[in-house]
Amino acid sequence: MLMRRPEPGGHSITLDMVGLLREWGNDVDIIDLDTATDLTAVRPDHDLYVLRSVTEGTLSHAGILDALGATIVNSYPVTRVCCDKVLVTRLLQLADVPVPETFVAQRPGQLEPLLDDGPIVVKPQGGSRGRGVKVVWDADELLDLAAPDGPVLAQRYHERQGRDRKLYCIGGQLFGVKRVWPARTYAEKLGEPFTVSAELRDIADHTAAAIGTDLFGLDVVISGGRPYVVDVNPFPGFKGVPDAALRLADYIHATASATVAPADTGLKEVVS
Amino acid sequence: MRAVVIGAGPIGCGFAGRLLHRSGYALTLVGRARAATQLARVGRYTVRLTDGCTAREESVDGLSVLDVAQTAEIADAIGAADLVCTAVGPRNLDAVAPLLARGLGQATRPVTVIAFENAEDAGPRLRRLVGRQLGMRRTDRHGFTGAVVGAVFAHRLLAQHPGDDLLLIGEPHSEFAVDAHALRDPLPPVEGMVAVDDFAAFYLRKLYRYSAGHATAAYLGRLKGYRYLHAAVRDGEIRHAVHAAMAEGRAGLAAAYGDRIAGDEAELGAILQRFGNAALGDTVARVGRDVARKLGHRERLVGAARLAERAGVAPTRLAEAAAAALYFGDLDGAAGGAAPPMRRVRPCHPDDVADTLRNVAGLQPGCPLARRIEAAWLRLGAGWEDGNLLLTLDRPLWAWAGAGDHTTLARAS
Repeated sequence: MLMRRPEPGGHSITLDMVGLLREWGNDVDIIDLDTATDLTAVRPDHDLYVLRSVTEGTLSHAGILDALGATIVNSYPVTRVCCDKVLVTRLLQLADVPVPETFVAQRPGQLEPLLDDGPIVVKPQGGSRGRGVKVVWDADELLDLAAPDGPVLAQRYHERQGRDRKLYCIGGQLFGVKRVWPARTYAEKLGEPFTVSAELRDIADHTAAAIGTDLFGLDVVISGGRPYVVDVNPFPGFKGVPDAALRLADYIHATASATVAPADTGLKEVVS
Repeated sequence: MRAVVIGAGPIGCGFAGRLLHRSGYALTLVGRARAATQLARVGRYTVRLTDGCTAREESVDGLSVLDVAQTAEIADAIGAADLVCTAVGPRNLDAVAPLLARGLGQATRPVTVIAFENAEDAGPRLRRLVGRQLGMRRTDRHGFTGAVVGAVFAHRLLAQHPGDDLLLIGEPHSEFAVDAHALRDPLPPVEGMVAVDDFAAFYLRKLYRYSAGHATAAYLGRLKGYRYLHAAVRDGEIRHAVHAAMAEGRAGLAAAYGDRIAGDEAELGAILQRFGNAALGDTVARVGRDVARKLGHRERLVGAARLAERAGVAPTRLAEAAAAALYFGDLDGAAGGAAPPMRRVRPCHPDDVADTLRNVAGLQPGCPLARRIEAAWLRLGAGWEDGNLLLTLDRPLWAWAGAGDHTTLARAS
């Protein structure tokens, strides 16, 4: 598990998942990169890597492992794509996934003409967990934005109708959770599961095909009766998905088993 | 002592072969394709016995291995054997019978034939099939019995490198019951073998407790989207339902056969514990397959439910599991191909369910059990669409299981 070590005492679906995987006989190491690492020691010693926390550090680590032939969930290329908001948004557009009208600029000031048509949401190219995301209503606010490290993404702001829709895909299984934004309490973060509509299924399916994975999260805003995908996460927290840790462990266990020992297909049903 | 095992699968090698080897038999294995070739080359295999917490391995060596096409050599081996075991699946007994008849025709002394086929009538059926070829008088010299096996062997892994052993993975239980009335003297000794007078009751004891729970876990697990059986029984709702289904089965057994056969509550807990054994790698798909057979009139769900009804116990969870089976997505293997394909059943009118239950489970439309299963089918499926999976058994809340395979990784089926 390539991940940040969670806060002590906090509830973590990921740690619950790790507990289940260990209970089922998997040896699970947590690689948190909290200490200096000898680069020559970074090699694929494990059957499977799970890239849970995406930071520049874990991404570089995963990149080395990928180059050396490791099996990683999500794969290094998929995670890289998801971390580049410009690239992933264009891929979603090409896959007919509804996203807000989107622009890219090298400096926030270049976005000023867009405000003539209404507010925009400005995002750093490589941000995550909502960091650096800001709704901009007028040009003065653009001046207040910190100078970005790279390009900035601007998307047309769509006023939310009701709660956001979180779509979570675990091994091709799609779960929906309604959640208020911003969520303030733990109960609000858990949200409420809902039956995924055909329209949202299509969105998730097209997203999966576009980025080449079956493990991801989508943030969907409903506005004017239409859904807009506003974020893609290669390994979200899955909060609110019933039995999320169990479902994740089931998926990861299957993936790990497949990398270790492909089973003889001639199994006999004799006992049950 | 000499023994022949026909069928080099998980039960043939992992269970029967291991116990015969431990009991001192010179063992001849009859198999086909890659497994037989590999066994013949190496002359041994490894059995890993695990309860999920601990594991140990045993080597079964000194094997003679014959391909199923070597009929003359197989007949010679059977003719010289004290004991012959089959583990080929009930549907393949017809194909095995001529081979057995030819071999038993050469035998100069009584031979014991044990059919490890997980079918109540496997012993008598094999006796009949052989008798047609050999004549009943010559056949009656030999003992033919089925076997009730107390262990799961879910996996047979072919060696990936030359010189490696074929590996069988299963539970460490050795005990199996055979029908005392079907045997002939001298009875060859085998570790773990128990000859019982009430074989049918022993068979139903396993079917209506262990197998009923196993099937309940698989069908509800599939409905909720789990891949592995050990994951399905970690789901609190499913765990509760599995335990309750086995308790219903046990209540029926207690009324019909008494507490000695029905067992106690602690035994159900132990069975549930076994379902959580991840080391077996058992999948929901494997345990649940062959839906039509498993929904049969005397089978693990409908048979257990009927017995529970007769005992005055409402088979709520067994009926729910049977209803979930109707969403499993395959009705292959229906006897005589009589059952309609599942795709026609699932989205259609409850009348289609009634027809299926009549054709597959032998339940008359409108009978209490059929009505119970239909009600559960309607409740579980409210709002259901093809490709859905259920989030909770209590209310119709659906996730979507059809997001396709877009991963770049290989994955277990």
